[in-house]
Amino acid sequence: MVIAMTDLAIKAEGLRRTYRSRNGWLKPSWRHTEAVRGISLEIERGELFGLLGPNGAGKTTTIKMLTTLLLPTSGSARVAGFDVVQDTREVRKRVGYVFGGDRGLYDRLSGLDNLRYFAELYAVPAREQRTRIAELLELVGLTGREREKVEGYSRGMRQRLHLARGLLHRPEVLFLDEPSIGVDPVGARELRRTVADLASSGTTVLLTTHYMAEAEELCGRIAVIADGAIQQIGTAEELKHRTDGRRVLTAEVFGASEADLDRIRLLPSVHGVTVEDRGLSQIVTVQSAVGTDIEPQVREALTGIRVGRIDKREPSLEDAYIAIVTGVDRDADERTGGTAGVPG
Amino acid sequence: MTDVLAKFRLVGTGGVLAYRALFNWARLPVFIGTLLAEPVTQLVFFVYLGRQLGVANDTFFIVGNAVLAASKAGVYGGTMAVGNERRFGTLGNVLLSPRSRSAVFLGRALPYAANGLFVAVFTLTVGSLLFGLDLPVQSLPGIAAALVIASLTCAFFGLTLGALGLRLLDVWLVSNIAYVLLLILTGVNVPSETLPGWVQAIGDFVPVTHAAEAARLAAAGADFETLAGPLALEAAVCVGFAVLSALLLHVFEKAGRTSGSLETI
Ligand SMILES: Nc1ncnc2c1ncn2[C@@H]1O[C@H](COP(=O)(O)OP(=O)(O)O)[C@@H](O)[C@H]1O
Ligand SMILES: [Mg+2]
Repeated sequence: MVIAMTDLAIKAEGLRRTYRSRNGWLKPSWRHTEAVRGISLEIERGELFGLLGPNGAGKTTTIKMLTTLLLPTSGSARVAGFDVVQDTREVRKRVGYVFGGDRGLYDRLSGLDNLRYFAELYAVPAREQRTRIAELLELVGLTGREREKVEGYSRGMRQRLHLARGLLHRPEVLFLDEPSIGVDPVGARELRRTVADLASSGTTVLLTTHYMAEAEELCGRIAVIADGAIQQIGTAEELKHRTDGRRVLTAEVFGASEADLDRIRLLPSVHGVTVEDRGLSQIVTVQSAVGTDIEPQVREALTGIRVGRIDKREPSLEDAYIAIVTGVDRDADERTGGTAGVPG
Repeated sequence: MTDVLAKFRLVGTGGVLAYRALFNWARLPVFIGTLLAEPVTQLVFFVYLGRQLGVANDTFFIVGNAVLAASKAGVYGGTMAVGNERRFGTLGNVLLSPRSRSAVFLGRALPYAANGLFVAVFTLTVGSLLFGLDLPVQSLPGIAAALVIASLTCAFFGLTLGALGLRLLDVWLVSNIAYVLLLILTGVNVPSETLPGWVQAIGDFVPVTHAAEAARLAAAGADFETLAGPLALEAAVCVGFAVLSALLLHVFEKAGRTSGSLETI
């Protein structure tokens, strides 16, 4: 009998993970990707915690280590009081893992049979299985559809079945990896409500997402992760302070190149520039110091390019997130030469 | 006590669900075509070929091909039982299970053994009827024992190939080759005395070889004492592949956690 040493749901210390992948067979060269570069976290029981970051930030890798699917290259972690490397069985009994996307289910089985199989795998006692499955089908709104083959399920139904599966064994800690990916807005809202209910009934939830709004609505605390490391951690309110003293300008432009954007980046009071492609047009977002009107300078930098609407506004949480994440990109650019691609 | 019952459930109920989830040929038309019609056709083909070449009598081919018929469900099914996890992206969810891997995968192998046994009995029955082979009643227990053990061996052999599928990209290529090799190595359609020594030697370590020998001896009226030898050898091959598959699954799971190479999600 191992006694849980702490009351934390998750405690990670200096977690690191490097992937080695091989290119070529005859003359193999190894590529090292530092997916996670030293993550330390403490999450209390009952917390609904958000891990927010762009694609490739290291969110999934972190979750895989916390759920025992992947060994850390270094560092350590305890989940529900147990070590993720030493006590894998104990950890597995206590965690649930739900990921987004439509794979990960047995298409040829009905929703009910998928749950029956995983109830066996996740050690749900035989006499509880029937009621537990019925309860979960009700919870995720699949009652009445459970005998249909998963083949015919919509994206949203699959996602709800994923969630039900992850909850079968009443996990103490639930990991949700981008659960709302590809789910329609109504489905996503229902999903958020279910997750909020779970957390209020005592389940610890670690949610990863790259939707700011989702994190803001659900999570007590949010860690912004980029480039394999936690950049900032706090409540949504606290994260917003990152953009204190800034203003945001958005411009609709047609055919701006990287060079044009670099000219804006070099302007003295500019903190960051991001672009979003919208087919023919692009939306350029510029964060700048409050107190200077940078519109004339931006227009000048874009001389020769058609510029549509220009708006100015107070920064939102989304802007704070972008500020945190793009701040990292600048540092990372300087570092890539040293870390990536070791030629053979 | 409840622990033991729970394990039985994982093997039994879990195994049947996994069979339905992962076996590509579980639909009736496909099942009939691939697992019933084809082995019988193969048996007929080799009986006529055997008559032409005059290498052995009908009984040799009928009994031999009936035992070999057990291999198709086992070899391909066992491969699917692990290989198809990739296709559905379910491997990560399975590996998150805190339960015994041996029980999980034993459960996966057994339905294919049962399936293989059914196919073998069907093939033997139809083959005997078609060619008017009259097997004496006292030969049946021996033949049955050979078919049961061969079916189990084939299922664990398939599971071993499936475990390789966690590493190889194209595991179907491997099972196709393995299936064809069984045709040659087991000496089912070529009397093993006519094969080169090294082929015979390999044949001793693959499924079906010893079971086919036992079944033929039984059909020829041998007593149980005589059958015990080849039956025991087949059982040893069976245990060998069961252990090998468990070992490979364990090693690959561990390697996957270390390297991140298993496509777990
Ligand atoms: N199995 C793998 N082998 C090699 N590189 C990987 C592997 N899995 C992820 N990566 C790389 O690690 C980085 C982090 O990936 P991931 O943890 O999936 O990020 P996120 O979930 O935040 O999008 C990415 O650069 C990704 O390409
Ligand atoms: Mg991810």
